Amino acid sequence: MQTWDLGIEELKEKNSGENNLKTELLTVNMGPQHPATHGVLRVEIKTDSEVVAKAIPHLGYLHRCMEKHSENLDYRGVIPFVDRLDYLASMSQEYSYVAAVEKMLGTEVPRRAQLLRMLILELQRIASHLMAFGTYALDLGAFSPFLYAFDEREKILRFFEEISGARLLYNYIWIGGVWNDITDKHVETLKEFLDNFEKELVKYDNLVSGNKIFLERVINVGNLSLEDAISYGATGPVLRGSGYAWDLRKVDPYLCYNEVEFDVPVATGERGSVVGDCYSRYIVRMKEMEESVKICRQVLDKLEDGPVMGKVSKVIKPAKGEVFVRTECPRGELGVHLVSDGTKKPYRVKIKSPCFTHVSILPHFAPGQMIADFVASIGSIDIVLGEVDR
Amino acid sequence: MLSELSSLINSKVPNAKAEVINPEEGSLGEGSILVAPESIYAVCEFLKTNDKYSFNALQVISGVDYLECIEVNYMLGNFDVNNPRQLILKTKLTDRVNPRLDSVCGLWHAANYQERECYDMLGVTFNNHPDHRRILCPDDWEGFPLRKDYMTQKYYRDMEVFPDDKMNYEEREFIVRQKQMEEDLKKRMLERGM
Amino acid sequence: MTTKAEPLTLRKYFYNIYYAVSTCLKGMGITFKYIIAKKPVTIEYPEVREVVPEKARMRLYNDVLNCIACNQCATACPVDCIYISSINRPKDLETPKTEDGTAKRKILTQYTIDTALCCYCGLCTTVCPTECLTHSHDYEFAQYTVTEMKYNYMDDDIIAWRDRIVKTR
Repeated sequence: MQTWDLGIEELKEKNSGENNLKTELLTVNMGPQHPATHGVLRVEIKTDSEVVAKAIPHLGYLHRCMEKHSENLDYRGVIPFVDRLDYLASMSQEYSYVAAVEKMLGTEVPRRAQLLRMLILELQRIASHLMAFGTYALDLGAFSPFLYAFDEREKILRFFEEISGARLLYNYIWIGGVWNDITDKHVETLKEFLDNFEKELVKYDNLVSGNKIFLERVINVGNLSLEDAISYGATGPVLRGSGYAWDLRKVDPYLCYNEVEFDVPVATGERGSVVGDCYSRYIVRMKEMEESVKICRQVLDKLEDGPVMGKVSKVIKPAKGEVFVRTECPRGELGVHLVSDGTKKPYRVKIKSPCFTHVSILPHFAPGQMIADFVASIGSIDIVLGEVDR
Repeated sequence: MLSELSSLINSKVPNAKAEVINPEEGSLGEGSILVAPESIYAVCEFLKTNDKYSFNALQVISGVDYLECIEVNYMLGNFDVNNPRQLILKTKLTDRVNPRLDSVCGLWHAANYQERECYDMLGVTFNNHPDHRRILCPDDWEGFPLRKDYMTQKYYRDMEVFPDDKMNYEEREFIVRQKQMEEDLKKRMLERGM
Repeated sequence: MTTKAEPLTLRKYFYNIYYAVSTCLKGMGITFKYIIAKKPVTIEYPEVREVVPEKARMRLYNDVLNCIACNQCATACPVDCIYISSINRPKDLETPKTEDGTAKRKILTQYTIDTALCCYCGLCTTVCPTECLTHSHDYEFAQYTVTEMKYNYMDDDIIAWRDRIVKTR
């Protein structure tokens, strides 16, 4: 029997018996300032030599009381705060909140604005997954993919900067539409970028995905069965990495996702991997980028002239009621539960963040892993602590 | 679907007192089902295991403080591509001093963190929870921030929570200065004979 | 737990070595290409400056001559960093007009923005009716203390900086 099959108490008993030496589990604090925890996550690890026996995540180091803040702001003023949740995919977060408000108001969004939103969301997905890819390679000891990924991400950020004026926290998607229109020049540069990006994806595949050293680190590490994944409420690439094609864009299409063709990538266990391991989650992200490129191309072809802002009254005052809207963000499903009491300010904004749900899977991964494998597991679920702590 | 489901719940779970809540007129939104707080575990177990309307995932537990009661919303979902479903299950706790609910951790792993957050933010205690601690605030924080009548504590571990030297008092001084300036200007205007 | 327990044949052993070496070489090839073909993307900052896009949202600038003190920007601001004070113009005074012809019914006495608090969301500039509040392209405004980050746009020195910080329209 391996040591990691035992519980902590049993382990203590077993160890104390040998040669009458008093042994105990070593408690190691990983984080809050640790490069591999993607922010300020503190994981308290009980280790037996290099094997993790138990991991307890401690959250709250980046708790900015966003939900309490938004109770004191008007509906438009919340958008810059929502931006700061998942600072690597701000556009997606904005859209989720705006969609909730629009559902409450019953606003009609012009078609061009909807298509633009789709384009932006998919580009944001690419940017976010590039970051995930780069930092994951960095976690596992490869430095150069990080730089190459940033090279492409920079182009997307530059595009966002040109249309919205900011690089990271955009406040671009507004209630009723989007802020600015894009020009024909932007469309051309985007087409050029998408053509180039497909070649880059092949490059990443050669550089990292097929690399034997990388494969040895991620295959059969951090397994998550489909049953567990659903029970933990996992969504997005984590659920798809466990082999289930659940994608809100297909299942419950919003915007114009029912008009475009794309596949939902699912882990199939290629390259000797097991469905549900770190490699599956990683490869789902890489394949999703290809699908996003496809969607972007179709959206660019569909773009037609028209207004980008719908009719919204100057003071937003939804009627009493509540909505729960969920959208597919790069990291999983983001749900917004919005309660209105008929005034200018929201009564309650509850963000269901995918990362918060995914952090709860960490204790499930931990028992029996090496510390280095645990780092690989943390990286594979791709958490952003801004969203976890809110 | 909602009315059918609520009658199903009532027939299978005694004392559930399930009723459908539809959005008020003039507002868009989804309907939901309200059940009695004592029967929440039984209702959730029924919802998870029944054949016709099963919900295999708990998406989020969202608590709302309405001052007269604390409402806990369970957003259930069915992660099944062929028949995706969503349900908002509500329960109302009238006891604000010591609100209690049964934990549903035995049904969904996701409930663990969500219930901890609900306890942290709104002070709802969950019976039989395996790890009942605060999650976002420090363990020894006082009060529950998302309650509407929340007042920040004055001292935390002998540290002032809002120390004078860190507060933006200039904003308040600004208002005082502003009034002074207005008066000055009026005076000057008067002096000029306007 | 890293590898599956499968019998390791001699053939597999050598295939593993071949696979590892070939994939590593492939990766090295890509990196090598980058060394030769890729031009540096960094710029030498103080001497060379990046061109900021047209719509870039940098430091706020208020053209106080056109401001009608309507207070909409202060209301829209989610972080409450705009302080405006004004007094009603006496009725017997002549009402001046802004550049676009809006009547200035109030006398602006103070217009301060705490740039340290500002989150550059752009909500204030979009509600401005006379478009006097704009995001300039000035992003170099480091100061020694936080209080220096507060700009009163009625001050003479800021009006003197106008040429440098106002966005070319």
